[in-house]
Amino acid sequence: MSPHEAFADSLLAVQPACPPGLITWNGSDPARRFAVYRNNVMVSLIDALADTCPVTQTLVGEEFFRAVAAEYARANPPRSPVMAHYGADFAGFIEEFAPAAGLPYLADVARLEMLRAEAYHAADAEPVSPEAIALLAADPGRLPAARFTLHPSLRIMESRHAVVSLWAAHQGDDVYSALAAVDTALPESALLLRAGLDVEIYRITAATATFIRHLQAGRGLGTAVDLALAADAAFDMTEALGLLIRAGAIGGITHPEGEQT
Amino acid sequence: MNKTMTAASLAFAFGAAMSIAAAPAFAASHGGAMKADMEKEKCFGVAMKGKNDCKAGAGTTCAGTSKMDYQGNAWSMVPKGTCEKTMSKTSPTGNGQLMEFKEKKA
Repeated sequence: MSPHEAFADSLLAVQPACPPGLITWNGSDPARRFAVYRNNVMVSLIDALADTCPVTQTLVGEEFFRAVAAEYARANPPRSPVMAHYGADFAGFIEEFAPAAGLPYLADVARLEMLRAEAYHAADAEPVSPEAIALLAADPGRLPAARFTLHPSLRIMESRHAVVSLWAAHQGDDVYSALAAVDTALPESALLLRAGLDVEIYRITAATATFIRHLQAGRGLGTAVDLALAADAAFDMTEALGLLIRAGAIGGITHPEGEQT
Repeated sequence: MNKTMTAASLAFAFGAAMSIAAAPAFAASHGGAMKADMEKEKCFGVAMKGKNDCKAGAGTTCAGTSKMDYQGNAWSMVPKGTCEKTMSKTSPTGNGQLMEFKEKKA
């Protein structure tokens, strides 16, 4: 094992141990100096996760959250110096974390908060002009083949739990009353989109989530509608399209030549 | 749905979507619709806390005074979060718990 590997291993070890060969310039105890550094590393990683997942932390309390985050950090040290995206698989870790098994929705709340951070840091893009939308509406023959370029911050998430309601309940002043009205067992899907500097989270139906995912994958409007209707005959395309237009999610409209729909 | 029907209903839906798009959007986060109407300007460095801040300085972790995060087994305690205020139809207590429990029929 190289000295670097030994140093890195000691940083993340559960039992504090000073890596061999450390010396200090002023003769102070290297083990104590190392312990301070080691603590800083762990605290900053846990803080990064706590900053990204405030609702997850509130749900379980700070003590529990920091303990899970520490376990995660030990098993998953950062691969990049950019802390904004640290914890990409934190939700997956929570899902497998036995002590949190009593809260089946916890992992998905963390997943939603991670997506929120992703959306926050995504590239800027201007939505298409109302004129471009009107132009498309005026030419219905081209609608089914039309493709939308969606905003780079747009994220879709489907959950078996009421993640959007759980998240939203923690945004107001009276968290407990808001939580009392949430039925966690109801499946919910979310659309995340940054408008200006704020990430908005919209509650959408599973069929709308399917529809937007197909648009995101570059499929034509007609194909996406058909696939969403196949998933759920009650799919409301007016509502789904209205939301995309209203929220400014459409960044561009293209008409591939000779496209068959 | 066949292609002709899709095209026709899509045209209708798109027209209707444009008119409902004039109404304010409702986001789960509060104030979403209001913000859209407000003047926007970019203001850097205030919206979300940076995660790479240096921790150096008096009273911070560099001074070795931060809370220690190495205590283990904290999850064996029941944490004081909102989870226990959150309804759970499958939980015997009717609320979320952090100890494992056997699901009851909803």
